[in-house]
Amino acid sequence: MLKYSIKRIILALITAFIILSLTFILVKSLGIADTTFGAKENVKHAFYLQQLELGYVVCFDHPVEGYGDLLAHFSIDGIEEYYYSRPILEQYFSWLRNVITAWDWGRSTSIELGSAATDIIFSRLPTSMYINIISVVISVPIGIGLGILAGLKKNTWVDHLISTLVMIFISIPSFVVISFLMYLLCFENHILPSIWPSPSDSIQTKVLAFIIPVVSLSFGSICGYTRFVRAELCEVMSSEYLLLARTKGLTKNQAITRHALKNAFVPILPSILAEFIGIFGGSMILEKLYGIPGIGDLYIRSINEKDYNVLMVDMAIFTTVGLLAGIVLDLSYGFIDPRIRMGEKK
Amino acid sequence: MKKNDDFDFVNLPEAAQDPEIKQEDFVLQQADSTIHEQRFQTKPTTFLKDSLKRFSKNKSSVVAAYILGFLILLSIFVPIFNTNDVSNAANAALINLEPKLFNSGSGFWDGTTKVKHCPVDPNNSAHPFYPDPTVYYYSGVKDLQVEDGLQYTNEVNKFGQNGYVQTGFYGGKGNNVSYLNSKNPKELSADYRFTLDLNTDVLTLDRFVAVDEEMLKEAEGTAGVIPENFTLGLTGLEFVYYEGDDLEVVELVSPDYTHTIGETGGEPSFNISEAIKTATGKTTFDSFYFRFVTSKPAEVDGTAHVCSLIKSFIITTNSTNDAQEIYFSNTTDPVTLLDGICFLDATKMMVRSYEVGSGSKLLRNSGFWSIDNTTSYLKRIYLSKSYFASFTYDSYEATLGEREWSVDNFDLLQYQRNGWIDFNIDVDYVGGQYVVDTTTFDFVILNRDKCPLVNEIDASDINILGYVDGDPIYYANVKVIYYKYLGYDEMPKYLFGTDRTGRDMFKYVFEGLRNSLLLGLLTFVVCFLFGLLWGSVSGYFGGAVDLVMERVTDILSGVPWIVVMTIVILKAGSSFGTFALALCLTGWIGTASTTRTQFYRFRGREYVLASRTLGASDGRLIAKHILPNALGTIITGAVLMIPSVIFSEATISYLGLGFKNLSSLGVILSNNQSELTYHPYQLLFPSVVIALVMISFNLFGNGLRDAINPSLKGEE
Repeated sequence: MLKYSIKRIILALITAFIILSLTFILVKSLGIADTTFGAKENVKHAFYLQQLELGYVVCFDHPVEGYGDLLAHFSIDGIEEYYYSRPILEQYFSWLRNVITAWDWGRSTSIELGSAATDIIFSRLPTSMYINIISVVISVPIGIGLGILAGLKKNTWVDHLISTLVMIFISIPSFVVISFLMYLLCFENHILPSIWPSPSDSIQTKVLAFIIPVVSLSFGSICGYTRFVRAELCEVMSSEYLLLARTKGLTKNQAITRHALKNAFVPILPSILAEFIGIFGGSMILEKLYGIPGIGDLYIRSINEKDYNVLMVDMAIFTTVGLLAGIVLDLSYGFIDPRIRMGEKK
Repeated sequence: MKKNDDFDFVNLPEAAQDPEIKQEDFVLQQADSTIHEQRFQTKPTTFLKDSLKRFSKNKSSVVAAYILGFLILLSIFVPIFNTNDVSNAANAALINLEPKLFNSGSGFWDGTTKVKHCPVDPNNSAHPFYPDPTVYYYSGVKDLQVEDGLQYTNEVNKFGQNGYVQTGFYGGKGNNVSYLNSKNPKELSADYRFTLDLNTDVLTLDRFVAVDEEMLKEAEGTAGVIPENFTLGLTGLEFVYYEGDDLEVVELVSPDYTHTIGETGGEPSFNISEAIKTATGKTTFDSFYFRFVTSKPAEVDGTAHVCSLIKSFIITTNSTNDAQEIYFSNTTDPVTLLDGICFLDATKMMVRSYEVGSGSKLLRNSGFWSIDNTTSYLKRIYLSKSYFASFTYDSYEATLGEREWSVDNFDLLQYQRNGWIDFNIDVDYVGGQYVVDTTTFDFVILNRDKCPLVNEIDASDINILGYVDGDPIYYANVKVIYYKYLGYDEMPKYLFGTDRTGRDMFKYVFEGLRNSLLLGLLTFVVCFLFGLLWGSVSGYFGGAVDLVMERVTDILSGVPWIVVMTIVILKAGSSFGTFALALCLTGWIGTASTTRTQFYRFRGREYVLASRTLGASDGRLIAKHILPNALGTIITGAVLMIPSVIFSEATISYLGLGFKNLSSLGVILSNNQSELTYHPYQLLFPSVVIALVMISFNLFGNGLRDAINPSLKGEE
């Protein structure tokens, strides 16, 4: 088990490394995003000095051939500086060196000019996490409860009602749900704040502001869990050992709690654990719509403002969270049911 | 036959051991006829027919299939047969028309909205209505009921009378409040009072910091002990005015005031105007403003405490003169320091503008507030007296109905040629002015159904501009029926309404749906074929080939799809082709893995082995033997790719990375998001369409899977 776990983690690290390398190279092939257009000369100069320090550009005291187009030219106190973009692979290696030796993921070029990209991410991560944690805590019990209800009452009106609602809510895009929640609760009836409150707002406002994000995030997970639990439970309920348990003389409730649920939860628990890893991510649409200063919103902003260093860190987080959730999912199968070794050789 | 020794017949009755069967017990059934093979009694059926039969038993899937088919037909034919222009250069005359199916007055889907509790200015009859005075024309307003009330409004300087003012979106009155006042003060005639607002939550722990002389720096920002009572004054407020070009500063000193914690009422308050008059001896200034320098330490038992009480104060005035303006400025941080101002009279409120002071008379880095800046900051009057109205608003009547319009000579000549009117206008030049010759003036409307003019034009209505090429140029401001003026025979109807650029939403939505479906279909075909190829090779050959190919899919599926899409779109732009490419990059993985599993399942079967021993090549085995068996499962799994592609496209478009010059459901929803507050129908229809498409596609796909592959029935 330990050997297998270590193997999986190392594999995931390698995968993450490859993905991030590919991403970096692709992002860098978009070119240096000079966001200082129209700014004063000294701001521009500071920007290029920073890029130089990070190893993304080279500087010469005369124009040279072979480095592509001239990015910028400064003439300060008689010193001539000509900046060119470094070859992408060189940029990649200096980026790798910075990350590995100094944990320096670069600095923001426009969102918060000059501050470290990791600092920006970590200042925004808690907001996304709060919302995700609350939504997970709320949606998991409700989803499991509804799923059990639907599974036990299979093919009755309860099941049909729950399944239909799940079908509908899983099909409707989240931004539609969020928009209409906002319309009904914020604009029509003024019950809730219509954007994320600023730090100076009252506690009441801040608490109320959690309702729409949490509800809209929960809808999706509740539907997912309901569907999952129902499917698993239905499968278990028709299995032979459950029939045996009943013929041995167990009551229906005993058979369900002791045999059906225990077995049905073997694939469900890992996905709950994986969901807890997911709290480190942020929902882009929700955060954009509701103005939540989290990392999903940051992702969109860094794309729009061409702040590629921040974008890279944000992508790294989303990638790592995805991979980590996959590992937790697979490994926890083994912990919960030792017969299962996900992904191992047959 | 060998006797079985393990069994023994013990004590069985005689009859059981040897049942007596006589020949008469048997009857020959077909003694006289020859026996042939018989035809099947049931009708032969194919796999497809059988599947169709199973599918048609699933009622919800059948309904979904019909809805889907209907939507697809609409998406094909609506853009063809609807001739309205939905390009970017749309018709400005038709903006924000509500959806209309029935005639107005029927109360449902008739182009009207019920506006409830909308703040109005009872003194302004021209364009009285908030939120958008340019849209809410009187002509569209019916069943008007005006009430007055004590409420907050968003348009402070238009509708509010007396009240608290606050900034921000939401919250209570009091300490989260803005700003003062009127314009270009010359004379301090009003009686301004300055009051500390102690009823708010100012006196909390973190707002008090105990200070000694040397502790001042250390203790800054840390919590201190709440004193039981304290003394404070209102110093720190400075009055700054100009004497010619000279700047004069007067510190305003109020009497000290001792406040006991828990005590309410009796807030320290003093008359600023009196203090200014006392300090300067004058009431007229070229210009003046107030400024905070520091807050005066409050004294508790002889020890100085810094308290941020100035964050919460109220300024009251009895001024009735809107032109009186007072600037508040702060040398360090005007925004945060003055965030706490609570202003009691809404009509005297100033709106904050963030401009940094410029020119010789203003201090740099100050915050200024002026009443005419209405858009830069969100503000409300809290508990202000305002007038509200409830009414039915007919957007068609307001936008396209009767209205005042300038009709010129070209219009009139055109109407004359159409035979709608007949007129004779002669222009004389009398006394240096162009005038209409009233003796020969004649104007008659011949066709009232077609002619946009409501009434005959009078000679006095006509304004003459002059002559061009011997023809008089003139115009008249008259009442016209605007839709007739625009060339429509009858009032247009827009089933889904129009958006803020005047596009017909009906056509726009279905054109978007068409593009979304096309994208889904294209991506589906490409991904399906590639996934099939990849999965077959990987599953059929297994071993090292499979291992390498699996690692590639592992890596690709490890990258969040949004990252892949972002990079492709940033790199290649967001046209239809790049979008499809971006979606295809990871879209095939699902199909590939299903195919691989199916190939693993079938490649070891006996019939494959038999075929191989007969010499079939790998390609033949894959294409002729394994694939046809696996195809049902694979294709039903892949059908659900179309809705997921539409979903992905809508999501990424919604995030602002969508098509640039092409509509799609996501692009439409993204564009119209800002209209959610006042024109929710612009989001409603695309939302309903996308939800319908998604739901019916999923239901249809599940039904198809159950029908083609009954063993998977019930799985999600």
